[in-house]
Amino acid sequence: MKQIFTFLILGLGVCSGVRAQVDAVQKLDAVILSDSKLKNYAAGIKIEKLTDSVLSNNATSLTNLLAFNSNIYFKENGAGMVSSPSFRGTTASQTAVIWNEININSQLNGQTDFNTVNTSNYSSIDIRSGGGSVQYGSGSIGGSIHLNNDLKFSNHAETRIKTGYGSFNSKNLGINSSFGSEAWTANIGVDYVDSDNDYKYLGTDSVNENGEFHNLNMNVNLGVFISDKDILKLYHQSYIGERNFSGTLVGPSRSKYEDENFRSMLEWSRIIGKFSSRLKVVHLHEMFKYFENKDKDNYSLGKVNTLLINHSFNVSFNEKLQFKTILEYSNSKGNGDSFKEPVRNVFSTTALLNHKPNNSISYGVNLRQDFTTGGERPFVFSVDAGFDLFEHYQIQINGSKNYRIPTFNDLYWQPGGNLDLVPESSYQIDLGQNFNYPNFNVKLNGYYINTEDMIQWQPNSTGLWSPINIGEVASYGAEVEVKSHYNINEHQFNVSGHYSYTVSEDLETNKQLIYVPFHKGNLALAYNYKAVTVFYQHMFNGDVFTTADNLEGRFTSLNGYDVGNIGCNYTFFKNTKNELKIGITLKNIFNEVYENVAFRPMPNRNFNIQINYKF
Amino acid sequence: MKKIILSLLSVSLFVFSCSNDDDGDVQLPLGDYDNGILVSSEGGPASVSYISDDYMTVENEIYYNVNSENLGVYLQSIGFNGDLAYIISDNANTITVVNRYTFLKQAEISTGLLTPRYITFLNGKGYVTNWGDGTDTTDDFIAEIDLTTNTVTSTIAIGEGPERILAKGDNLYVSHKGGYNINNIISVIDTTDDSIETIIVNDAPDEIAFDSNGNLVVLCSGDTRSWVADYVETAASITRINTTTNTVIETLEFAAGLHPSQMAHDDDEVYYSMSNKIYELDDDESTLPTTSILEIADIYLYGLSVDDDKIYVTNASFTAQSELLIYDLDSATLLETFNVGLGASKIYFN
Repeated sequence: MKQIFTFLILGLGVCSGVRAQVDAVQKLDAVILSDSKLKNYAAGIKIEKLTDSVLSNNATSLTNLLAFNSNIYFKENGAGMVSSPSFRGTTASQTAVIWNEININSQLNGQTDFNTVNTSNYSSIDIRSGGGSVQYGSGSIGGSIHLNNDLKFSNHAETRIKTGYGSFNSKNLGINSSFGSEAWTANIGVDYVDSDNDYKYLGTDSVNENGEFHNLNMNVNLGVFISDKDILKLYHQSYIGERNFSGTLVGPSRSKYEDENFRSMLEWSRIIGKFSSRLKVVHLHEMFKYFENKDKDNYSLGKVNTLLINHSFNVSFNEKLQFKTILEYSNSKGNGDSFKEPVRNVFSTTALLNHKPNNSISYGVNLRQDFTTGGERPFVFSVDAGFDLFEHYQIQINGSKNYRIPTFNDLYWQPGGNLDLVPESSYQIDLGQNFNYPNFNVKLNGYYINTEDMIQWQPNSTGLWSPINIGEVASYGAEVEVKSHYNINEHQFNVSGHYSYTVSEDLETNKQLIYVPFHKGNLALAYNYKAVTVFYQHMFNGDVFTTADNLEGRFTSLNGYDVGNIGCNYTFFKNTKNELKIGITLKNIFNEVYENVAFRPMPNRNFNIQINYKF
Repeated sequence: MKKIILSLLSVSLFVFSCSNDDDGDVQLPLGDYDNGILVSSEGGPASVSYISDDYMTVENEIYYNVNSENLGVYLQSIGFNGDLAYIISDNANTITVVNRYTFLKQAEISTGLLTPRYITFLNGKGYVTNWGDGTDTTDDFIAEIDLTTNTVTSTIAIGEGPERILAKGDNLYVSHKGGYNINNIISVIDTTDDSIETIIVNDAPDEIAFDSNGNLVVLCSGDTRSWVADYVETAASITRINTTTNTVIETLEFAAGLHPSQMAHDDDEVYYSMSNKIYELDDDESTLPTTSILEIADIYLYGLSVDDDKIYVTNASFTAQSELLIYDLDSATLLETFNVGLGASKIYFN
């Protein structure tokens, strides 16, 4: 780290004393971080960072990682199947997924399938609670999930191999190499996951039929200083997946789903003194093929290619005042069996300001104006502030207007697509209190989100299903996040827990939205002594309604459930060059019978063994 | 079980006393669900609701209540033969056979079917229309079911998207709405030799019925698929087919832009719905009516039946409970509303 620091100061050859250090820190952010907005323009925003170590100790699916390590609730169409979040009581397409600063939610349905994201490919994952449409665009209403590939400019060469085997013939293999110098860096990773996924439905004679899946993820991230002021970075990610869609308790399935996502981004950063400029050219490709019958060649297809150009310009006037402007243009072209060839252009202009009038106050004012094909011009804004009131106590507050533009499916799906839709529009406020002690952190948050012009598909008077802007929803609730870490000699204890109480109601009917539990909580305990780590994870999801009339019963609601995982890691050897670690995890140790989505039972007790080798 | 027996007892006592007042013709109900209306809901979850003829007893999810298991999704239709009801779940490729009065499960047919839709009965056999894979236009068939063993004994290959099926004489009449696509034929299958005769009608023939003149009356909705390439709207029609010669007698075409969606037949009248209005057409009338007999605002009219001077419609919801609305035919006034299952689509009389 220090080397980079020196390098930067030498390379840029400026100033002296404290000022130089401040500049250097900011530049360091610009060089290493894939998204410095999360750090520099988020004074009043709750952000939870899941670091490398958390990522490596958890399952590789983003659904499982977040279900056990955040306040977010997930609904999964059976293990490994399509998975969508409800973040602060919002709908599946109201959580934005951001890959290295770029919103990657599908243009087709506005969502990201959290079971298609392999967490082992990221250096960190940030969970940013609350509205973020100014910074991250459409769909950032409940919050956003940030997949970050930070680049490490230092002399290093490291390769990790991770392989595992588990119940239901589940196999995974991952290889990740990172190497570089102070002038360049490279990170290349490949991960393959494969499972028969034929778990038994507890309490019945059936198993999860037609549930097998496999997928391949490949990541390439490169960075090089082409001059002492200029850095070129290339980020690439490929996902190729094939899944059979599993049946349910009330119907078998013979369908199959193939999907692929290719994401490439070339970034040129130039840093001169107080100024930094970043130009990104991004290509996003998404494609799916749905086979009604996996044994036949008939399928329906949907795909979208997006070309995106983004320029951001940052000025650090001094250590107290920063300003950023962003211009972005994107062009998305769709193609599919259920729509013709829709094209959408979006141009947006954004301005962010952060000011620290003194050491204990930091606030931001942020504006964004979009111009989209179809004439929609959502204007959004946000203000946020953090107050370090006392030594261990901080208040964070933010308010924002956010939006979600209609998806290609909403606009163009045939039959039903409605070109008259307007974006969903949302206001929210969020108040957080943070207690930070050396071994103990607590975050308490309360929020209120009002979203109107919700896009809902309904049958019209001729019986044709079509989306309209109809609903208005109020979501509000309280969240607790607790993290604690204690060391007693060589004994290390880690505790982390989350609880959320969520009300999300349709303001017309005053009913709770379906699949939003009032209560959700999780707890992770870990104990480490020398080479041994033992951990326990627990998740509780409360009752949910599965129909809009909020009736309790077998046909209209699902009972809450508790799921516990226990695991142990043993490090056989660890030195400067090599490390070998073996871990075993028992999942659903209580053999809980539960359904996350109605009539789709989740797995029984199962195990997984992982071997990690680093050299 | 105890509950069933108890309720059986109470219902029978009740009905007994009622019947006595009427005409003295005492007939004990054959089960909890005799003398009432059955409403099938596609789901999911799929379910069947029972409403007694006197509206005093209303019970949802009767299949689950009796058998402690769920019906497969999506519940497409129910066929009745003697004391038995055949519940067809299309995505589950299953027919669940129950006693129509007690709803106790008797058998399950779960092999040999692929997206089954409707069933009819002829000469001791069941005949079931099957789409096959919805996206495949060449794998559609009629499954022939041995009603004693409840197995599919043979199949008859047939054109795309077979929907409703009725039997008359030795013939089966099948409307081909077209499944995921669109079709415009009625197949007539002679069950003595499985030969198939094809009658061309307007696009999207769905509901069929035998009218009071012995003709087959067909509701064709016409092509409204504005999203397909080279789309041309085609006229909807009510078509009458002579069942002796198996030829079209007359086609009553709707004007452009008018596309009826549901049809029922009772006594000597055809009833059909169009944009939430119900129309009545006499079997001997050759001109389509211009005025409706009933208009229902703000509903998703998904099922229609007419019986005993009452009109039954479902207002379907797929995200919450649906409603069964019962109207008096003559006065067009709403008599009763009942909450039924998700995606309520068919109304039967037990």
